[in-house]
Amino acid sequence: MYNIIGKEVKRVDGYEKVTGKAIYGDDIKLHGMLFGVARFTDIPCGKIKSINTSKAEKMPGVVKIAMYKDIPGQKRVGPIRADYFPIVNDEVFFGGDVIAVVAAKTKEQASAAADAINITYEPKKGIFDIEEAVKPGSHLVHSEFKSNVVVHYPLRKGDIEKGFNESDHILERKFKTGFHEHAYIEPETVTVVKDPTTSGFKVYGSIQNPFTTRKVVAIFMGLKLNQVNVFGSTLGGSFGGKDDIINNIACRAALLCELTGKPIKITYTREESLKESYKRHPYIMNYKVGFSKIGKLKAMKINILADSGAYSSQTFFVTWRSVVQATGPYEIPNVETDIRGVYTNNTYTAAFRGFGSPQVIFAQESLMDEIAEMCNISAYEIRKINGYKQDSITASGQCLSGHKVSLMEVVDLAVKRSDYHQKIKDFAVQNQKSDRFKQGIGLACSFRGCSLGAEGTDASSAIVSVQADGSIYVFTGVNENGQGLRTTFCQIVSEIMGVDMKNIIFLEPQTATITDGGPTVASRGTLVGGNATIQAAKIVQKRIFETIKKDLDVTELDETLWENDLIKRKVEKENIKPIPFIEAAEKAYWDGENLSAYGWFKAPEVGWDEETGQGNAYFTYVYGCQIAETLVDTHTGKIEVKNITAVHDVGKVLNKLGVEGQVYGGVTQGVGYSLFEDYDIQNGVVKSENLDTYLIPTIHDIENIDAILVENNDQYGPFGAKGIGEPTLELASASLNNSLAFALKKRFYQIPLTLEQVKIDKNLRKPERQSEVKDNSEKKQSLRLNKISSINPKNLKNALELLSEGNVTILAGGTDVIVQSRSISNEQKLLNIYNLPELVGIVENDDNIAIKGGTSFSKIISNSKIKIHFPLLVEACAQIGSKQIRNRATIAGNIVNAAPCADSVPPLILYKAMLKLQSKNGERDILMEDFINWSYNTKIEKDEILTLIIIPKLDKNVKYFTSYYQLGRRKAVNITRMSISSQISFNEDGEVLDCRLVDGSLFSRSQRLTKIENLLVGKKLTETSIQNIKKPLHDQIYQEIGKRWSSEYKLPVFIDLCVDALMDIKEQCEIV
Amino acid sequence: MIKINFTVNNESVNLQVDDSLRLLDILRDELDLTGTKEGCAIGECGACTVILDGEAVNSCLILVCQLEGTSVETVENLEKDAVLSRLQNAFLENGAIQCGFCTPGMLMSAKALLDKNPSPSEAEIKTALEGNLCRCTGYIPIINAVKSASQK
Repeated sequence: MYNIIGKEVKRVDGYEKVTGKAIYGDDIKLHGMLFGVARFTDIPCGKIKSINTSKAEKMPGVVKIAMYKDIPGQKRVGPIRADYFPIVNDEVFFGGDVIAVVAAKTKEQASAAADAINITYEPKKGIFDIEEAVKPGSHLVHSEFKSNVVVHYPLRKGDIEKGFNESDHILERKFKTGFHEHAYIEPETVTVVKDPTTSGFKVYGSIQNPFTTRKVVAIFMGLKLNQVNVFGSTLGGSFGGKDDIINNIACRAALLCELTGKPIKITYTREESLKESYKRHPYIMNYKVGFSKIGKLKAMKINILADSGAYSSQTFFVTWRSVVQATGPYEIPNVETDIRGVYTNNTYTAAFRGFGSPQVIFAQESLMDEIAEMCNISAYEIRKINGYKQDSITASGQCLSGHKVSLMEVVDLAVKRSDYHQKIKDFAVQNQKSDRFKQGIGLACSFRGCSLGAEGTDASSAIVSVQADGSIYVFTGVNENGQGLRTTFCQIVSEIMGVDMKNIIFLEPQTATITDGGPTVASRGTLVGGNATIQAAKIVQKRIFETIKKDLDVTELDETLWENDLIKRKVEKENIKPIPFIEAAEKAYWDGENLSAYGWFKAPEVGWDEETGQGNAYFTYVYGCQIAETLVDTHTGKIEVKNITAVHDVGKVLNKLGVEGQVYGGVTQGVGYSLFEDYDIQNGVVKSENLDTYLIPTIHDIENIDAILVENNDQYGPFGAKGIGEPTLELASASLNNSLAFALKKRFYQIPLTLEQVKIDKNLRKPERQSEVKDNSEKKQSLRLNKISSINPKNLKNALELLSEGNVTILAGGTDVIVQSRSISNEQKLLNIYNLPELVGIVENDDNIAIKGGTSFSKIISNSKIKIHFPLLVEACAQIGSKQIRNRATIAGNIVNAAPCADSVPPLILYKAMLKLQSKNGERDILMEDFINWSYNTKIEKDEILTLIIIPKLDKNVKYFTSYYQLGRRKAVNITRMSISSQISFNEDGEVLDCRLVDGSLFSRSQRLTKIENLLVGKKLTETSIQNIKKPLHDQIYQEIGKRWSSEYKLPVFIDLCVDALMDIKEQCEIV
Repeated sequence: MIKINFTVNNESVNLQVDDSLRLLDILRDELDLTGTKEGCAIGECGACTVILDGEAVNSCLILVCQLEGTSVETVENLEKDAVLSRLQNAFLENGAIQCGFCTPGMLMSAKALLDKNPSPSEAEIKTALEGNLCRCTGYIPIINAVKSASQK
């Protein structure tokens, strides 16, 4: 039994994190510090003809502009192959390449100078498609390498042809996965300061692997390792993502620091982060599998291309894990796998939690379900027949021994805890009864090699240091990335020394004080760092023991117990009292004992044959199984995640709170990867510029996760623990895909499973327009608010006067204007009308309700009168943005901005709202319906303010039936994809009297669907009358937006939504 | 340049600053209240959430000219006399923190909710926190924390 291992332990770094006191990279401020801003390339691929910095150099505050020629050391870096230019010379290879970096006194000055650097190019046609890149004769991304193939790993086991010949069935499938962005909430930041002691640098920032950063900065600056000291700040999320990108930013900061002699801070905007930072590799995977009638796997041939983007980075290691795990956890006698990492001119790709496994698991676990279907057996049975058992031989010829092979244990537990077998039956029955919504359930399982395996040196370091007063430091060569490593390591020391956690402090490591412990990757932190910590703690413990053993009258350490801050005999003896740890430490100190010790853990031997892909790839493995339950809307393609049962063998739980947290977080990232995280890059130009277009899961998107932990102590793990960070992420895509296949009886081969992918089998994307490409070069480099002057008017009258003078932009809630202002280069004069008393409030009159223009959405949706009279308006406005946005955004702002997706507009059209526009010279009324001309264009004059929205009350004596539906990619904080607002009243005979249908985000402006309304008026709402609208609605939509990129999806979906709304109203009538 | 007077964490603030600054910049750079974080600058991630006149808002979308006479509360105001608030303790006890970068914003959104509605339903908690993205915790421990800080 343990004192603290396995318990729920609060984070040791929790206090500073809940008080805002934790110091993250961007919180660092140094005397005389300058700000660095990168000048990115304007094109993704081509030669640089000229760089003109003369204007930029003369700008206020600018101290230095650094370029390629200024680099004192090695100009190209990289973890394996040095192919990356932290600052490029005369050629650019992807849209995130940096041509120059500016240092200036303020961030604004540096950004302005970066904008002013003029660069001309000779653009080249880039390669953006991996299949294209490997074709013979395809041009080379880097001309000095002979091929676009970065690395090729073959694996050969048995006789593949013989295996196929012995098979009853052969199945061939092609799978695709997309780029995946880490989306840590903290964007990248680095601060570098000169260190006179070493004639080198101190580096601070959001750094995942300080030793790697040290190495890269030293090489780039032409220094020795002992001249660069790297201090990781509190890290705001990483997930594998703050490695190469941070090293490269650190190189640029160090260069500017060297050239200016001043501390330099570079902090990225989210746009810069999304543009430059590396992603998860997109894979194209061809699987051919042979199997017997009863589903026994005979042969598997796998051919994979991985998009490395413009640089090789971690591609060598990422694809190696894929080749080891590509067959999944199944016994297959004959395997032939080839995986190639390939250069393109896309954003480069590297480490991301999962590291080469989520892609292959998506393919291979989806495939297993398909094989089961063909053999008429269940998804469970196919895994039982083929799954790894104790002493199974893997594709690389490794015998799985020396640890518990718990694949079927985790599968069985997941099946049991999710009630899988029963749900399969129940969902099938329920799906028969429902046309629109289908329930799905799907299973996926995996094995995963722990730590680095044969991909690299796998050793780690720790120092445990007991002070004379009994307090303890621990520091390690692996890092706290947010995952809870500090807490776990303090727990380990607490367990061994029997000392309360409050007396143990984990020190933020700096590279100068401890030996390189390898990177904090591959779920190896606990495993290797934990072992090193145990070793160090035990050395110190032994030394303390030696000084007190006489006092306790014992000879061996294992005759003692160390707990509750006491050291005592296991077998009590008269007159011998337990010794407080503090006293023992003090005694050892005065005895001159060395109370600090170094722990070192080197992982057990592993091996790999590069030619055959055979060998003992990893020294131990973990096993996991996840079961996903979904509800799929067949009309829209929207998948709701109802429940995920996640069962993981972690060896041993050290901190329950921490391990469960890893499961919840990993599953959620996996769901995002599978369903909506769609990094949109077209011809090398990144379209997903910020978190409004790159969508990660919100709090609404997963209803429940059951985290279930299995323990099978591992001989190599600290207290038996293995790893948990990555296996949690890798299973969602396959389990969701299998769940979707169950629901729709149709299989999918590509993620993310976006609305369009599910509905029409296409990943539809807004095509790149020529005009957009052109605009790019004139865009601000670093989006920000600048050159703003503001005016606060005294009252509305004053505001209208100021407005009439021209040249001002109205600022109200700011939720649109401030976002848009970030991209505007010119000076802007903002007239702040927010909270002008004349513009805020809701007034009820006899025959209408008047909402003043500056009223926030939160006020509108909580207003009881509006709820009663205009329920559709409340429903629609509740969908706008987030709580924070609704607290600030105003209704007039939403209307005047006139985005086609403005959610308040359709109900206002439906309710026949009248808008009052006021200017210095008077006022005028205009119907909401007539106000918007087309997207972002209205009839408001430059000197007018929308002051009032008057909504006429409906006839009290008439019963109105309403239906509202809003479709977004996520369950909250959406840009509305489409909406339908509908309201119908009936005459005494049950015929439609008044019918109002309004689209949202379908046409270039929301409008009444008059033709459809007219078709229904005078008719009863029946299945037939409703179905009859389809054809005319189709024709109208086709005529207006048929040629748009999105109509292939929007057209059929909107028709369904319109029919659904009418059916909803029909059902409401039937209940009445 | 613009002159403003407003209140931050119950203390009066008088500043003369550039018109282009956002509330977020003022807190972090002018007042050294670095607990409030910047994650996206467009109101999508919620890391910069503070309470402004009782409402949770994104401080990246408030311009300095909009601050006159307002009262702002930040994460630094939650701990009183070295005692953590019930909500802060609930975050610690429920494992609602990993990297901690979203935590200040989460806490402020949750506080704005609990100040108005001391016993919210799970749906109300989710709505209040929907504008706060977290990439580490999968949200479940955060929901549990807010529930446990609610009045039973």
